[in-house]
Amino acid sequence: MIDFARVQKELQECSRDVEKSGIKVSPKSDGSLARLIGTIPGPVGTPYEGGTFQIDISLPDGYPFEPPKMQFATKVWHPNISSQSGAICLDILKDQWSPALTLKTALLSVQALLSAPQPDDPQDAVVAQQYLRDYQTFVGTARYWTESFAKISSLGVEEKVQKLVEMGFPEAQVRSTLEVVGGDENLALEKLCSS
Amino acid sequence: MAEYASSDDEERYQYYDDDDDDDDDVDVDGGDGGDEIVSLRSHGCRPAFKIITKESLMAAQEEDLRMVMDVLSLKEHVARTLLIHYRWDAEKLLEVLVEEGKEKLYADVGVTMMEHGKHIMSRFSSVVMCNICIEEVSANEMTTMDCGHFFCNTCWTEHFIVKINDGQSRRIRCMAHQCNAICDEEIVRNLVSARDLNLAVKFDRFLLESYIEDNRKIKWCPSVPHCGNAIRMDDPQFEVECSCGLQFCFSCSSEAHSPCSCQMWEMWAKKCQDESETVNWISVHTKPCPKCRKLVEKNGGCNLVYCICGQTFCWLCGGATGSDHTWTSIAGHSCGRFKDNEKVKVDRAKRETYLVRYLHYYNRYKAHKDSFKLESKLKETMQAKISNLEDKQCICKDFSWVTNGLSRLFRSRQIISYSYPFAYYMFGDLIENDLTKKEKEIKKNLFEDQQQQLEANIEKLSLYIEKPFDQFSNDEFMELRMKIITQSVVVDNLCSKLYECIENELLGSISGETHIIAPYKSKGVEKALELSVCRDMETSNTERNSG
Ligand SMILES: [Zn+2]
Ligand SMILES: [Zn+2]
Ligand SMILES: [Zn+2]
Ligand SMILES: [Zn+2]
Repeated sequence: MIDFARVQKELQECSRDVEKSGIKVSPKSDGSLARLIGTIPGPVGTPYEGGTFQIDISLPDGYPFEPPKMQFATKVWHPNISSQSGAICLDILKDQWSPALTLKTALLSVQALLSAPQPDDPQDAVVAQQYLRDYQTFVGTARYWTESFAKISSLGVEEKVQKLVEMGFPEAQVRSTLEVVGGDENLALEKLCSS
Repeated sequence: MAEYASSDDEERYQYYDDDDDDDDDVDVDGGDGGDEIVSLRSHGCRPAFKIITKESLMAAQEEDLRMVMDVLSLKEHVARTLLIHYRWDAEKLLEVLVEEGKEKLYADVGVTMMEHGKHIMSRFSSVVMCNICIEEVSANEMTTMDCGHFFCNTCWTEHFIVKINDGQSRRIRCMAHQCNAICDEEIVRNLVSARDLNLAVKFDRFLLESYIEDNRKIKWCPSVPHCGNAIRMDDPQFEVECSCGLQFCFSCSSEAHSPCSCQMWEMWAKKCQDESETVNWISVHTKPCPKCRKLVEKNGGCNLVYCICGQTFCWLCGGATGSDHTWTSIAGHSCGRFKDNEKVKVDRAKRETYLVRYLHYYNRYKAHKDSFKLESKLKETMQAKISNLEDKQCICKDFSWVTNGLSRLFRSRQIISYSYPFAYYMFGDLIENDLTKKEKEIKKNLFEDQQQQLEANIEKLSLYIEKPFDQFSNDEFMELRMKIITQSVVVDNLCSKLYECIENELLGSISGETHIIAPYKSKGVEKALELSVCRDMETSNTERNSG
């Protein structure tokens, strides 16, 4: 069984210094503590700067004695993250996991990975190739993806919410879906229709 | 310490020292006092194989652990981690220790020796925060590992359970991030058994099995159903007999296959399986008599068959051997030689040629294998004959000549049957060699001469042994006894000559892969002895003291 008492404490601890770290962890809309959404700000001075990245977290039964499963929900262009599925290649999420680590420390590691890609141990071979052979193009693509998928333009959000609510989706769900897809209206519609 | 250095042993492992056989006869009791151990070792007199049963497994492992724990003053779990890394080769471990030092040894294995006191809990507080469950726990519900990291017992237990179920019993690390320390087995055992007794048993079994599975010198006996034994090889050897009776090759864990090399045997076993359909039609249990065509069933181990019409013929080729046969006419019967028929049409499908060649070797291999099976039953009938004679107050009280003759027959029957797959590869195209066609032909003839001589004499021995000597008159009996004794010696010599031919004339000419074969042992495959741990402990203590 998942140690929910600990997860609860982790969430409290995390929200306490959200101002400082910018890292958020919150339960998914269904309210179960086994499925969570993590949010990390793109590190300053990287092509991810200014973006907000959503990470799907699912806790295995043995948590915290088994590592949490994490996957980018926001599309991101990075050698160690699959541009297709959002799968993350990070040792602490696999054999280097320790029960002493927390969701917050794991997300901090993911954030650190955004600042320091390791193209020699790639998750996405195409991105890694580009990173090594044509760094300028890589930076361009990564920045473009950040602009397109990881930025919720604060102006347009209410407009999009209203539009989708008028189409018959509940407001809370619309908001969380828009957040997950990084504000992309079309992706949000796709997701809402399939859920 | 010098005794632990094993460079000599290593070398003997690669280049088999065939003097061992002769040394077997050295009188151990003749050694005096202090020199005894040295002479035991250098002469290879100590048994090469030991049986490790379920019961002795624990003790055998304990012995190795204890040694490393004593030398390095370590706790059991650290010693185990080191030993697993060195595949339970304690000698190798100590060699590294002597040559490279303690720090290097620990670093290579990834054992961290943290200074104590770093994270020690305050002795005065009664409740402590566990950093895993983030609960305040009373201090006596906390456990501190060697590395100084402490967490609550509930969290440790969960951690251990996850790791054991994940198959990581041999290397459970501390829960702290980036701490490499291996958890104390005693703590694991205690905490897990409080929660799940079965899992604790499983944990102990995993640790114990590591002693066999991670061990360079130990193999499970490959018997099916499994006899429960493992065999430890203390001296480099090739073939061994387990106490369950199975003889197997220590390097490839399949049945004993000398004079085939492991590679040859692997190829042959696979081929026999692949070709079994094709061969089915040929491996019938009867053969037509060359004279009256009546189907004759083979009922003894001997390859000379009698038809009720009076005709005798050879089971191997079906050819008549003359009804008034003499021993020389059988000896000269040359069906064991395979001649490439020059009249065979050149356009004959390659496959057919190949199959004919294969069948030639397969049939002879199979015939001897079948004889072996039939002869194995002789053991019981022989015992019946012997007890029969004992009741009759026979002139002879000692029956070792017949039991020796029987084991000579078994041993040589095995050798002759495996000599066919050997020849199949040796003189075929599958194994690269440096021989010209002509040289190959000459060597083949040489080998086949030896093989046929051996074959004929084995049949002769088999015939003698099958005789109903318990019904014989005293004179007949004494005559047969003499014949069996002499024939056993003849067969023994021919076996060793065949091996000489293989080792000196044939194996040397193979290029590429080296083919190592288990040498001929006149006394048969070495039987593994039950491991007696107490005696061993004494020996190793003496060694250590004298070093
Ligand atoms: Zn705890
Ligand atoms: Zn530790
Ligand atoms: Zn066995
Ligand atoms: Zn073998």
